[in-house]
Amino acid sequence: MASTPLPPAQSYRRAAVYDWITTVDHKKIGIMYVVSSFVFFLIGGLLALVIRTELAAPGLQFVSEATYNSIFGLHAINMIFLFVMPMLTGLGNYIVPLQVGAADMAFPRVNALSFWVFITGGLLIESSFLFGGAPVGWTMYAPLSTQAPETGVNLLVLGLIMTGISSILGAINFLVTLFRLRAPGMGLLRMPMFCWTQLVTSVLLLFSIPVVTAGLIMIFIDRNYGGGFFEPSLGGNPILWQHVFWFFGHPEVYILILPAFGIVSEIIPVFSRKPLFGYRAFVIATASIGALGFTVWAHHMFTTGAVYLPFFSFFTFLIAVPTGIKFFNWLATMWGGKLTFDTPMLYACGFIALFLIGGLDGAFLAVVPFDFMVQDTYWVVSHIHYVLVAGSLFAILAALFYWFPKMSGRKLDERLGKAQFWLLFVGTNVTFFPQHMLGLDGMIRRIADYSANAGWTELNFTSSVGAFMIAGAVLMFMWNVFATMRGPADAGDDPWDANTLEWATTSPPPVYNFDHLPPVRSERPLFDLKHRDDGHAPVAAISLSVTEGPVQ
Amino acid sequence: MRVFNAARAANRHLSLIGLALFATLLLAACATRGDDYPTSAGSPAFLPGKVVTQQGREAADLYLPIFIIAVVVFVLIEGILLFVALRFRRKRGDDTLPGQRHGNNVLELLWTGIPAVIVGVLFVVSTGVLLKVDAIAPNPAVTVDVTGFQWQWTFDYKDQGLSFTGAGKDGPEMVVPVDETIHIRLHSVDVIHSFYVPQFFRKLDVVPGRINEFQVNVEQEGTFGGQCAEFCGLAHADMYFTVRAVDRATFDQWVTDEQLKAAATPQPAPSGGPTAAKLQVSAVNKLAFEQATLRAPADVPLTIEFQNLDPVNPHNVSIKAGQPDGKDWIGLPIAKAGQVAVYQAPALPAGEYGYYCSVHPNMTGTLTVQ
Repeated sequence: MASTPLPPAQSYRRAAVYDWITTVDHKKIGIMYVVSSFVFFLIGGLLALVIRTELAAPGLQFVSEATYNSIFGLHAINMIFLFVMPMLTGLGNYIVPLQVGAADMAFPRVNALSFWVFITGGLLIESSFLFGGAPVGWTMYAPLSTQAPETGVNLLVLGLIMTGISSILGAINFLVTLFRLRAPGMGLLRMPMFCWTQLVTSVLLLFSIPVVTAGLIMIFIDRNYGGGFFEPSLGGNPILWQHVFWFFGHPEVYILILPAFGIVSEIIPVFSRKPLFGYRAFVIATASIGALGFTVWAHHMFTTGAVYLPFFSFFTFLIAVPTGIKFFNWLATMWGGKLTFDTPMLYACGFIALFLIGGLDGAFLAVVPFDFMVQDTYWVVSHIHYVLVAGSLFAILAALFYWFPKMSGRKLDERLGKAQFWLLFVGTNVTFFPQHMLGLDGMIRRIADYSANAGWTELNFTSSVGAFMIAGAVLMFMWNVFATMRGPADAGDDPWDANTLEWATTSPPPVYNFDHLPPVRSERPLFDLKHRDDGHAPVAAISLSVTEGPVQ
Repeated sequence: MRVFNAARAANRHLSLIGLALFATLLLAACATRGDDYPTSAGSPAFLPGKVVTQQGREAADLYLPIFIIAVVVFVLIEGILLFVALRFRRKRGDDTLPGQRHGNNVLELLWTGIPAVIVGVLFVVSTGVLLKVDAIAPNPAVTVDVTGFQWQWTFDYKDQGLSFTGAGKDGPEMVVPVDETIHIRLHSVDVIHSFYVPQFFRKLDVVPGRINEFQVNVEQEGTFGGQCAEFCGLAHADMYFTVRAVDRATFDQWVTDEQLKAAATPQPAPSGGPTAAKLQVSAVNKLAFEQATLRAPADVPLTIEFQNLDPVNPHNVSIKAGQPDGKDWIGLPIAKAGQVAVYQAPALPAGEYGYYCSVHPNMTGTLTVQ
C-alpha cells in the first residue's frame, strides 16, 4: 500500500464535515440514517415520557389537554416515520450492498437524495411543534384533520409527503440493488434473509406510499383550498380517507416489522451455529405476509360501520399463519444448535418471547365482536407497542449490537449490553402488559385524563414506572456507544463467526467494500469458506476466524 | 460493604420520600371527569368485566375460549424457547459444529396446517357471533337518535318528543327500559366520534354524512358510563354520557314526567328583578367567547343573556364554583346554534371567577365580582 501525506489538521476537520454532507457512499449514508433516526427516537421517547407522566395519576398535573392532544400523535409520527422506518432503511443501506457483495447501492446519488429529503421531511414535521402543534393523531382522521386550524398540521402533512418521497426513492434503489448487483453465484434463493425482507419491504413501500401520498395531498387541498374530498357537506366522504390511509397503514406495519424479522433471521443462525431452518419456507412466508398485508387494511375500521366485516376478518386471521411459520422456524433453527447468548442473540430471543404477545393479542382483534369492545382502547395501544417496541425496537437493538463491530471496528460492551437488555425486557412488560387489562376494562386511548373512580390508577402508575425503566435502558445504550467509541478498534473482521458476506471484508469496510469476493454457493458463503471441506468442520477450520487468535 | 449498605438505606429513604410526594400529588389532583359513572366495566383484569346487554354477552363469551387458545400457544412457544435456551447452550471450549439441518417439509406442513385450521375455526365461530351482535330487529321498543358534536352529545327520543343535550361533567343521560330492544341511531354534525359503553361490550363510530345503527337489549337495571372513543379534538376526553336502564313502568313514568317538564318549562324571565345585574355574553364559534372578561356587582343575582351566534355548535355559559356549595353552576338549557338563552345565576360573593362553556371547556373567561 502506498502512503500519502496527510493534509494539515485544520482543513482536514472541515473536509470531514464536507465529506459527510456530500457523500454518496452507502455506508456513510447508512450511518447518517442510523444516527439521525436515533435522534428522532430520543424526541419521540421524550414525548412518550410526557404522556406516561401525565397519565401516572388521574387529573391534569403536567400538561394541558391541548398540549397532550398534539403530543400523542407526534410521538407516534416520530417513532414510526422518523425512527423505525429510517433506522431500518439505514441498516439496510449499510448492510444490503455488503451482504450481496456489491460496491455500493445501485444509484448512490439517489441514495444521498433520499437521505436529505428524509431529513427535510423530519425537520418539517418537528417544526409543527412551533406552529400550534398537530392535534390530529398519527392517523389524521378527516374531517378532524381537515378542520383543525393549527398551521402545524400543514407542516406535518408536508413533512410526511417528503418522508414518503424519500421512502419511494429508497425502495427503488433497494430493488435495483437486490436484482442487479448481487455477487456472481448469488441466486435469489441464496440471498441472506435480511435482504429478502428488505426486498419485500421495498415492494410494499412502492405500492403503498404513493396511495397515502395522494391522500395527504387531498388533505392538504381540503385544509387550505376547500377541496371537500373528505367533507360530507361538500359531497366528500370521511371514510374514504380511512381507506386510503389504512391501505398504506397496514402494509406499513409490515414495513416496520419485516426487516426486523430479517434481522432476527440473520442473528439466530449465527449464534446457534446452524443454517436457518426452512429457508425457502421463510422466503414464502415473507412474500405471503407482504401480499396478505394488502388485504387486511379495513380491520382498522371495523367500528366505522362502513366495511364488509367478514372479508377483512378472514384475511386478518389468515395472516397469523405465515407469522407462525416464522416463529416455529426460528425455534427449529435453535433446536439442536450450540447457542451462545451474546447481546444480539439475547435481543433476538427477547424479540421472539415478546413479539409473540403482540401476535396473540392481535389475533384477538381479528374477532370482530371483540374488536367492537377494545378498538380505540389501551388494548390496541398495548398491541401496537408489543409489535413496535418488543418487535421492531428489540430487533433494531439486536442489529445495532450485531453490526456495530462492522460499522465501527469495535464491539459494544457485552456486560452493559446484557444489563441493558434485562432492564428493557422488564421495562417493556411493566409498561405495556397492564395496558391490556386497562383496555379490556374500557379505558380509551388518546385521553389526557381519566376518572379516579374507574379503578385504573394503579395500573397506569405501573405503566408509567415501566416507561422510565425503558428510558433508563436507552440511556445505558447511549453510554455504551459513547464509551465504546473511545476505546480501540479491535473487534476484528468477523467477531461473531458469522455466515454472510459483510463479514468477509474489513471492519469498517473500505470504500467500494471488497478487494475480492469468496465464491457464493449457498446462502452462507462465509460459512462455506470457513468450513470448505464438509458441513461438519474440524476444529482447525473454526480457528480461522479472526478472534480465535493466530491461524494454526 | 458498609458503604454499600448505607447507600442502600439512603436509597430506601429517597424512595419513601418519593412515594409520599406521589401520594400528595394524587390527593392534590382533584379529578372531575366522569367520576360518578366511570367508563369502566368493573376493575381491570384478565377477563372481561360486567357486561349488561344480550348482544354484549354473546360477544364477551367469545373471549374465554380465545384466551385459553392464546395461553396454550404462549406456554408452548415460550416453553420451547426456554427449553432450547437451557438445553442447547454451547459449552466453553466446544468448537465443533452441531448437525447442519436445513429444514424439514413435514414439519413445515404441520406448523402451517394446524394454525390454519385453528384460525379457520375461530373465523367461523366469530363471524357467527358477529351476525347475532349486528342483527337488527324490525320493531324496536325505543329508538334513540344520538347526535355527537364537539364535545358533547344530544339524545333525541323522536317518538316521545324528548331531547337532552349534555352539559357538565357527566354529559346527558339516556334512559331505556330493560329487556326490550333499543334501537340506537348515530349522527354527527362535525367530525367523527364513537359511541362507546364498555358495559355494552361495543362501540360504533359516529360518522358525519352517514347514519350508523345498532340495537341492544339491556338485561340489568343500573346506570352505565359511556364516553366518546374516537379522538375528536380538544375536549375529546370530556365527552361523557350515561345510560340508565330501568323497568318498563319506571321508563313510562320518566317519559311522562319529562314530557310534562318540557311543556311546563317557562320561557326564562327577561330580568331577575330590580336588584339583579345583567350580563351579556356571546360566541361565534367553538374557540372562545367574544368576551374574555366580565364584571358584575357582588351579592346580587345575575341574569346572563347569552347569544349563540355560532351557526353550528350549541353553547352555554357556566361559572366555576358558582354555586353556594362550591360546585360549578351550569347554565341550562344549552343554547342551540343561533339561539339566545337567558340564565338566572345565583348571587356571588366578591372575588374572581372563571366562566366557561360546559360543552366546550376550552371556551373560558374571567368574571370579576366586586
